[in-house]
Amino acid sequence: MLPFGQDAFFALFEQYNRAIWPAQIGAYVLALAALTLAFRPRAGSGRVVAAILALAWAWNGAVYHLAFFATINFWADIFGALFIFEALLLLWTGVVRGKLAFRFRGDLASWIGLALAVFAMAVYPLIGWLLGHGWPRAPMFGVAPCPLTIFSMGLLLLAERRLPLHLLAIPVLWSLIGGTAAWFLGVTEDLALPVAGLGGLALALWQGRRALVPAGPG
Amino acid sequence: MPSPTSRRTVLAALAGGAAALGLRAGEPRAAAPGPKLMRAIPSTGEEIPAIGMGSWITFNVGEDRKLRDQRTGVLREFFARGGAMVDSSPMYGSSEAVIGYALARIREKRALFSATKVWTLWQGTGRRQIADSRRLWGFERFDLIQVHNLLRWEGHLETLREEKAKGRIRYIGVTTSHGRRHDELEAIMTKEKLDFVQFTYNVVDREAERRLLPLAAERRLAVIVNRPFQQGDLIERVAGKKLPDWAGEIDCANWAQFLLKFIVAHPAVTCVIPATSRVDHMQENMGALYGRRPDAKLRQRMIRYVEDL
Repeated sequence: MLPFGQDAFFALFEQYNRAIWPAQIGAYVLALAALTLAFRPRAGSGRVVAAILALAWAWNGAVYHLAFFATINFWADIFGALFIFEALLLLWTGVVRGKLAFRFRGDLASWIGLALAVFAMAVYPLIGWLLGHGWPRAPMFGVAPCPLTIFSMGLLLLAERRLPLHLLAIPVLWSLIGGTAAWFLGVTEDLALPVAGLGGLALALWQGRRALVPAGPG
Repeated sequence: MPSPTSRRTVLAALAGGAAALGLRAGEPRAAAPGPKLMRAIPSTGEEIPAIGMGSWITFNVGEDRKLRDQRTGVLREFFARGGAMVDSSPMYGSSEAVIGYALARIREKRALFSATKVWTLWQGTGRRQIADSRRLWGFERFDLIQVHNLLRWEGHLETLREEKAKGRIRYIGVTTSHGRRHDELEAIMTKEKLDFVQFTYNVVDREAERRLLPLAAERRLAVIVNRPFQQGDLIERVAGKKLPDWAGEIDCANWAQFLLKFIVAHPAVTCVIPATSRVDHMQENMGALYGRRPDAKLRQRMIRYVEDL
């Protein structure tokens, strides 16, 4: 059960968006840089993309959840901790250990990953605007948890080799939490969250199984 | 929370009935039929109005000035129509802060009966939480502090008794909701010395009639009833349905009053705390504070009518 109503939810976003402006533009710049590096990978680009994702998750945990959302939702402290933990996982796996590499391969997972990223950056805010909660009362790309989760699922589907599943746990969990909240609050664009979370997880598992199957003769 | 549309539809459908009773939304309380329903707190005999105000979700609007001012209007209407008990909790996000904001802007609030809760796993944190509530509401002495959802109730009751002994709280109590943990609540009501208990009771959730309400009467405990509309589900259920002709016999002009009068007519109930974010809904709710109430026979008829809808 949500402890707040729709009017308080959108009012919070208005306050948050105004307070952090122009961080929203910074989020788009970083996201475009991450996508560019996935399309034109070079030495160390996996570490850079992982660092961008980690920064976004840390921002959403510390600034959105702990500093703002916690004023109307007692669960926000836990959400904030989860988002910061995801940031640490991305830092450890992708930046410190260098285990993540991103590349558009032209396969099914890559196309779906790209579609999710484009949805989060362009379609998501457009739907919000069409439904009457555009700027500044909308969850904005990169600085709000739901579009960030959709984008992250997309980017992680561009990961080469077998994707470390531990990186998916918190985004999938949030896709379910955020999707449920969307249902109650009437944030239609967030209904894409559980689709992105569960669909992305299924695709990552399928890819992982394929990677484990030894190549056949010939 | 009931959707604005559905409740507006109910209002529109009932406009004729209300007019027949000589009532209009926004009409001053002087026009209300009969005296205000007051109920005594058994431990002291102090009387409070039987309709209070909850704040779950409805007053949790954060820092937004426009929403805060609108909620101030809701609380002002509550006092203007004879209300007194305002119930909140640290669990309700910014609700306590918004109530404090509203109280600071309402001149006529002498009737206020302030009720909040302590809701934390640790006793030490509970003391800080109570201090925070004082700061947020803007005064030193609460009328009532309750242990929310029985969380760590042994330790918090100890704290509340200390505070009461120091004169910083007038009454203490415990709460639950949604019909949960009635066995444990019953044990606490039997064993502990309390002034108030709070639980869920309404025309369809009547589990409390079996043990809790009779026990409260026996133990001389004041009863606060939460979720009178099942957080709007009951209002949704009756939306668009015709209010029975005999609702006029108990001065009900709308479904909110019908549902609230069912609750406050129970002899063991002290106060019911519907929550709303709208002035017109507050006006409807507060209408239940006046006029005739159903007797035991009519209450059975009310149950049957709602169950048959």
